[in-house]
Amino acid sequence: MGSDEAYNFVFKVVLIGESGVGKSNLLSRFTKNEFNHDSRTTIGVEFSTRTVQLNGFYIKAQIWDTAGLERYRAITSAYYRGAVGALLVYDITKHLTYESVERWLKELYDHADPHIVVMLVGNKTDLESERSVPTEEAKDFAEKKGLLFLETSALQSTNVEAAFNKVLEEIHKKVNSKEVVRGSINAVTLNSSRAESQEEEKKPCCKNI
Amino acid sequence: MGSIRTLNSSHMEDESSLGSDSEINGFTSERQADRYGFIGGAQQYSEESAQDVPPEVLRQREVKWLDMLSHWDKWMIKRFNKVRLRCQKGIPPALRGRAWLYLSGGKVKREQNQGKFQELDSQPGDPKWLDVIEKDLHRQFPFHEMFVSRGGHGQQDLFRVLKAYTLYRPEEGYCQAQAPIAAVLLMHMPAEDAFWGLVQICEKYLPGYYSPGLEAIQLDGEILFALLRRVSPLAFRHLEKYKIDPILYMTEWFMCAFSRTLPWASVLRVWDMFLCDVGVKIIFRVGLVLLKCTLGTREKLKTCQGLYETMELLRAIDPRYMQEGFLVREILEVPVTARDVEKEHHTQVKRWKKNRGELNFKPAPRMHGARIIMLAEPPRRQDLQQNPTIVLEVPEPPQKLNKGKEERKSKKKKSMKKPTALEEIPNPYPLPTDPPSQSLNPRLPAAKESALQQSTQSLSSSEQDTYL
Repeated sequence: MGSDEAYNFVFKVVLIGESGVGKSNLLSRFTKNEFNHDSRTTIGVEFSTRTVQLNGFYIKAQIWDTAGLERYRAITSAYYRGAVGALLVYDITKHLTYESVERWLKELYDHADPHIVVMLVGNKTDLESERSVPTEEAKDFAEKKGLLFLETSALQSTNVEAAFNKVLEEIHKKVNSKEVVRGSINAVTLNSSRAESQEEEKKPCCKNI
Repeated sequence: MGSIRTLNSSHMEDESSLGSDSEINGFTSERQADRYGFIGGAQQYSEESAQDVPPEVLRQREVKWLDMLSHWDKWMIKRFNKVRLRCQKGIPPALRGRAWLYLSGGKVKREQNQGKFQELDSQPGDPKWLDVIEKDLHRQFPFHEMFVSRGGHGQQDLFRVLKAYTLYRPEEGYCQAQAPIAAVLLMHMPAEDAFWGLVQICEKYLPGYYSPGLEAIQLDGEILFALLRRVSPLAFRHLEKYKIDPILYMTEWFMCAFSRTLPWASVLRVWDMFLCDVGVKIIFRVGLVLLKCTLGTREKLKTCQGLYETMELLRAIDPRYMQEGFLVREILEVPVTARDVEKEHHTQVKRWKKNRGELNFKPAPRMHGARIIMLAEPPRRQDLQQNPTIVLEVPEPPQKLNKGKEERKSKKKKSMKKPTALEEIPNPYPLPTDPPSQSLNPRLPAAKESALQQSTQSLSSSEQDTYL
């Protein structure tokens, strides 16, 4: 899982959502298989990577995490740049965090690529007894808005892999599909000489720079 | 995929934390707190790189600082350069809390607003802010013994201080980066003092940093980047080439005044200078040093040919560059003056207005130096008086005591009680070279609360008290 692995694609995925919903722990669970009850408040930007194998391709997921507090949205444009996927996270035990999902979506579409793949994630399913957002309600909302949907528990590891993998899969599909104009998704291929490029998808077994 | 490294096992209850006040559950000696209070090596304490000041030197410095604090206004107005020099050398740990409070003007603020903190403390607060603050209490320096317990005194005080600020400045509310700032202050002083220290930092040192819109921090990011051009053209060009927005690397640095970035010894040295000298100038200098050291040579740049790779490097700065001695030397040598910062500020504001329209945040002139703060908020005589929470009654001729120390102590007493004949008071802080004291009374006798000081400010004050 180190940086020496070969990979065909780099997909930048951002984690967004209210403060305290579990973005940082979803990040650490997926990229390091770690969970911390007392993880530090995110200030500025955190990020981590993990390379996964999908349909024979190696995809390096570059996951970005930032502060959820309202006023930090003022500094997010740099954060969204080049993102091809997003996990919009809320806490199933805090209805307020679900209510602000619309605002987050607007924020997302204001700053990010219009073809960005978005998954609505209801986190903290380990606290089922304190649930305040019914699964069906969120699922319907996601469908209506054209978002993917899953409920997860970063604490128990439930569905975390599934969530990220699904998003990466969808991104890959979009990159592959002829319907999407190549240039509009900033999928970075490692075989290119520099960062942002919209090159042809190369054969696997590339070497790392 | 790697082994499962859960930092907190999932079968522990949600309410449990790494430990209670009295007992750290399940953690043994490997979880000893270092000299700064951090457990398990958090905040990068390192034996080898520790810059230990010899005790004799420390005692000398303490004497000098006690003298300065007793005549604070004179020193600040007439001999500020000396104050600054002493801050650069590092404030003696025993007096750091007090010195910070004086330097920042927090002491004066507190005296001129007596009862204010208590008033704010007693109010319920806006539930919207309380909710966010509560979520953050266990997320500040969670590996520091003061903050490790959920609902412990440290977290309680953190809550009180942050809540009070949202009531004091309701238009500002709460910004998450204020929590680490408040936490650092609380490690050195009781809640009320920490509150006023926070007020000063938010208003005089880092104005606008925590306001809605975060314009000030973005502006300073641009200023930092522009200043980098002259300090390290290579680093500058590299960041420019990969379009690495300053916000991506300097946000946590600046908003937390490096308290989350540097090894703790270095944090304290930086804060000693930051609170004394030009608040933001020091912050800029630290940023410039880190950028220059990390990205300043072609060799280093070869290893990070890309935005992501560069950011990874900036997040994992070589400990050598952050080591106390090295860092302080480099900071003092950065060829950037307050004037340079002002000029660049001017340029960036113009640029902002041209590209992004009006600034909502009206930048007040930065207060360059604690001295200027004092001139702007002049203290009354009584505002500068020290109020030790432990006052010793000194017997009439001191016998076999550390004479100098006791005399100074007696000068500080505000409640001048007629000394009664007491048994000999042992020097509680004997040096190995001091003559051994006769009676080994482990508890200081006749510790009385000064009439001027309410000692119930903070439940943790008795543990954290740095007042001699």
